Amino acid sequence: MFGFDPYVLLLLIVLPLVGAGAILVTPGSNVRAIRMEAAVAATVTMLLSVYVFLAYDHSVGGMQLERTWQWLSMPGPWPLGDHAITLHLAIDGIAAPMVLLTGIVLFTGVLVSWRVGDSEEDSKPPKAYFVLYLLLLSGVFGVFVTLDMFFFFFFYELAVLPMYLLIGVWGSSSTFPTFSRTKEYGAMKLMIYLVAGSVLIWVAMLAIFVEGGLGTFDLVALEQVTFSDNFQKIFFPLLMVGFGVLAGLWPFHTWSPDGHVAAPTAVSMVHAGVLMKLGAFGIIRIGMMLMPEGAQAWMPALIGLGTVNVIYGAWSAIGQNDLKYVIGYSSVSHMGYVLMGIATLNPLGLSGAVLQMFSHGIMTALFFAVVGAIYERTHTRDIYTLDGLAKRMGFTATMFAIAGLASLGLPGLSGFVAELLVFLGLFQTYPLLGVLGIIGAAITAVYILRLLARVFFGPLGERWEDQTDASGLERVSTLVLAGFILLVGLFPFPFIRVIESGVFEVLARFGDVG
Amino acid sequence: MTEIIGTNWAWVIPALSAGAFFIVLPFRRYLPVQGAPLSIAAILLGFVLFWFVLADLLASGTADLSIRWLSVGDTTLTWGTTVDQISVTMLGLVTFVALLVQVYSLGYMKHDGKYDPGLGRYYAVHSLFVAAMLALVLADNLVFLYITWELVGLGSYLLIGFWYERRSAAEAAKKAFITTRIGDVGLLIGIVLLFRATGTFDISTLIHIAQNGGIEQGTLNVSMFLIFLGAMGKSAQVPFHVWLPDAMEGPTPVSALIHAATMVAAGVYLVARLMPLFELTPTVLVVVASVGVVTFVFAGTIALVVTDIKRVLAYSTVSHLGLMMLSLGAGGVGVALFHLVAHGVAKAMLFLGAGSVMHAMHEETDIRKMGGLRRRMPVTGWTFAIGAASLAGVIPLAGFFTKDEVLLRVLEYRHPVFIVLALFGVVLSALYMARLTFATFFGEPKSDHSEVHESPTVMTLPLLLLAIPAIGVGFFAFGLGDTYKGFAGFIDGHSKFHLNIWLSIASLVLAGIGIWIGWAAYIRGSLSTERIIDRFQSVHRVLAAKYYVDEIYQWVIDRIVLVLGRFIAAFDRVVVNDTAVDGTGDSVKISGFRMKFVQTGRIYNYGMAMAAGVVILSLIWWIVQT
Amino acid sequence: MIELAHLQVLAAALFSIGLYGVLARRSAVLILMSIELMLNAVNINLIGYATFVDFGEAQRALGQVLIIFVITIAAAELALAIAIILRLYRNRSSVNVDQIDALRW
Repeated sequence: MFGFDPYVLLLLIVLPLVGAGAILVTPGSNVRAIRMEAAVAATVTMLLSVYVFLAYDHSVGGMQLERTWQWLSMPGPWPLGDHAITLHLAIDGIAAPMVLLTGIVLFTGVLVSWRVGDSEEDSKPPKAYFVLYLLLLSGVFGVFVTLDMFFFFFFYELAVLPMYLLIGVWGSSSTFPTFSRTKEYGAMKLMIYLVAGSVLIWVAMLAIFVEGGLGTFDLVALEQVTFSDNFQKIFFPLLMVGFGVLAGLWPFHTWSPDGHVAAPTAVSMVHAGVLMKLGAFGIIRIGMMLMPEGAQAWMPALIGLGTVNVIYGAWSAIGQNDLKYVIGYSSVSHMGYVLMGIATLNPLGLSGAVLQMFSHGIMTALFFAVVGAIYERTHTRDIYTLDGLAKRMGFTATMFAIAGLASLGLPGLSGFVAELLVFLGLFQTYPLLGVLGIIGAAITAVYILRLLARVFFGPLGERWEDQTDASGLERVSTLVLAGFILLVGLFPFPFIRVIESGVFEVLARFGDVG
Repeated sequence: MTEIIGTNWAWVIPALSAGAFFIVLPFRRYLPVQGAPLSIAAILLGFVLFWFVLADLLASGTADLSIRWLSVGDTTLTWGTTVDQISVTMLGLVTFVALLVQVYSLGYMKHDGKYDPGLGRYYAVHSLFVAAMLALVLADNLVFLYITWELVGLGSYLLIGFWYERRSAAEAAKKAFITTRIGDVGLLIGIVLLFRATGTFDISTLIHIAQNGGIEQGTLNVSMFLIFLGAMGKSAQVPFHVWLPDAMEGPTPVSALIHAATMVAAGVYLVARLMPLFELTPTVLVVVASVGVVTFVFAGTIALVVTDIKRVLAYSTVSHLGLMMLSLGAGGVGVALFHLVAHGVAKAMLFLGAGSVMHAMHEETDIRKMGGLRRRMPVTGWTFAIGAASLAGVIPLAGFFTKDEVLLRVLEYRHPVFIVLALFGVVLSALYMARLTFATFFGEPKSDHSEVHESPTVMTLPLLLLAIPAIGVGFFAFGLGDTYKGFAGFIDGHSKFHLNIWLSIASLVLAGIGIWIGWAAYIRGSLSTERIIDRFQSVHRVLAAKYYVDEIYQWVIDRIVLVLGRFIAAFDRVVVNDTAVDGTGDSVKISGFRMKFVQTGRIYNYGMAMAAGVVILSLIWWIVQT
Repeated sequence: MIELAHLQVLAAALFSIGLYGVLARRSAVLILMSIELMLNAVNINLIGYATFVDFGEAQRALGQVLIIFVITIAAAELALAIAIILRLYRNRSSVNVDQIDALRW
């Protein structure tokens, strides 16, 4: 359309950068202009991401909106050395919903961050905040649309590094009765974990580059190479764990809840909503596409850990007293379904996993937006201190209930469709783990309903008499998220169609293996 | 299709209420009477449509309709409806009761001439609940059934917790949702297992495959048992019954809707719908019958000692649901549904009557403070008495016929133990109904009732309308020539109505004994309840504590679920994070701290190290070379 | 007749003496002198090889060229080192390396 299709993916990466650049040259004192620039960049990017999603033609499938720019050639004995590193952009049926998800979270995150720097106790300038935020999202878009390992890694790091500053500077420290977590601790741990993960990833990528023998980092070219069995079995786990760290794979998950507790609202939204999806996406895009036999061999391990994620995450959420910790552990639990779905290696499970990535992204962003709104007003996240908020914050309570019900897999909301597909897939390969997965969903009901009953229902606490409900911007952002939850829940087919076309491409790689 | 509006329009009935939900909820502040008329109009239209559907069904037989919801590979999930005798019966019952309850709520939710500020929310959720229930009875495949099943659960959660500012209401809503959801875990696993075995969710296809031996017996046994777990949760069978009495925290019309004709009926409906599959697993059917009879007696005994008017009705509901399950366990689909209908209208009337009493008495629910109310509230009193008599099994009210058919079925198809227990349950049933009615509406007032007056017409009219089927529906048991072979025959096409005269007399006598005891204790006063309680103190204590089931569950939740949750949370923090993760970080820090002493700052130390390194390397090289 | 082996022994002896000096002496000046000994031991080695081994026409003068380089660099290095030692002495009134440990932990 309009002849800009070949550039549309590049625009996705560049637009947030342009926004960041515009903010950079705006004087820091002009807060209003900075916010407007961020909002404009976010809105345009979101519309673009919607366009990308709609432009993807599921009936054709494969890689679409493709475009390659040469970046570096590598002299040597390589057949493809002159295309060593290229900015090769394209999306398939798995990346398309992820791009849409990123667009939505980016947009709502900016709205939620509108008041950054306004409150008395934290007067940190919003300028650097928005610059880093847009930089981060540009990296996320980059990961989802690139087909070159080098740029994949580059954007991956670009998506991770600003997190450190965003949490470390704009975050909040918390003290609990038995322990405390400073924002520096949260930021540092997140950083070290993710960088350690990327070390594993980078090692595996270089090994693939060398072993591939083509002298190119291009994933499409490397797919033609058949790596030896031993190579796959040695290097797939590196990718699995490296990306798994980002996906919250047990036992490498503790950075995630602590990171959430320390992070400002919008960063939590991006972190749980999009960043954790990068990990799962990486496992599919690089791990499974390039090394199907290694994946086949290691899937039992992944599905086992995924099951632990589900049950362990849900049950630790029951034991938490801090709203953000509850949601943080619920993310760990829900990412378990994604990992389980990926590991089923059948169309149902894998489609469910991708849909769960999308659904969980939206749902958890809504969770954090609501929790952020409550925290901003009450200055506490303790579920024993908050009570009866629904009377004063009816809208907020409704939004929380929608997110919560989606999270416990209520039909009609997005979580159900995704989890149902994962279960159907699981029962074809590992029925017993499927049973555990369904039980996990019931445990989710326990902590979500407990939270609703404690925080929102019951008599209104006296000190919350003067609470105000969500502001206009908060309403817009949460309504957008809730709308998508309902949309996917009631009419999942437009999403499933697209995802399915991508999933079959992935599973085609397993045709000669399984 | 002989008519323009017929069975293919059945999907419109739930769609109307669903539409009302989506309009009333967001725009309730801008609609007249907060959108309540819209909601009522939707269900009224649904009730009208029901007659067209029924007429078409009788004329042209069952009809299916389905649209694709989503598909992955060769798996397709659909939203579909099927209209047959079972679903149309439920359709009629649900639309009728829901309509009357919604009309009644207009009066009930009005306090001192002003509507409740939450009225719009109430009607919106009501519509959602009804839409889900109607879709549930129409569902033609198990996934769609599960979807609506869960939405019914959501509706009940929101309705029970309608007065969310009350801690007890919030807790009761949570309890209802979680308890039924535990059963739903079984239901979902059962559904997925059946899918795994056959590759389809469609109920009629599933039945076809199973009847031709396409499903391994073991798988079928396991999945039917798991599906029955789901039914137990929704239909409040022991030991999942705990949520139902607590659910009385919701507004009373809600109880009339949820606990009479809709949500609790869903479990019975599910088993009835899947009966061809259950029939292939006789073992599971015995389980169904056992659970049913245990529930019937168990809840009946508790109902004897409860003093809250709504809770007596709640336990009575649990008890009668047990009777329906018992009937299903004996393979009697038709009789179970017949009793479901008779019980549904009678119980709805009783709940609405109780609501009318509470409305008049400023939310008083303790029957020990009532008495003689029929003089103040004649319509409420007499309709209540009719409902109670029907459930107690007084001839010729509906309850007599339906209960008799159930007993007959049990006598013919099950071990004698079942019929003995069931007859004992009949006595209990008559006794607690007599107790409730006599203590509330007859005898002498036990507190000042001078301000009590009859409820407005908008509330009494539904009571009167419900009284008609409560009296008359029993006669549908009889056949009418060749076209209508009695209700059971209408449902399954071959059963015939017949009576065992000795059994009927036995059940009538037993019911009479129950009522007589009630009369003696609560009107004539010749039987002192205090003395009985004194005599059987320990029994009374156990009954009053509802067999300590709630306490046991509370203990499990407090001592196991929550403690385990805290333990895992602490484990994650202390062991995984502080020990393993921070430990790795700390060991790097500590080793760095230790290692720094190697840096002495003395050049000759470094020089020595260099020289030693060179020597060692060259030695290694030399060894490797030779 | 002087052979390559003689020169190598001489170079090795000089290098060892220099190494011993570097490791054992405490005076910065003496350490510097020992380093010079080691450098010159290397030079002798280079001369030896350049003289006794035939590397072919093109590389005939390579050893000598290298030595010139080493000598030049040694001179520059010495100048720098002496300057540092001088500054050190001005500041601390001592050139004992035991006392110069400011870069320690």
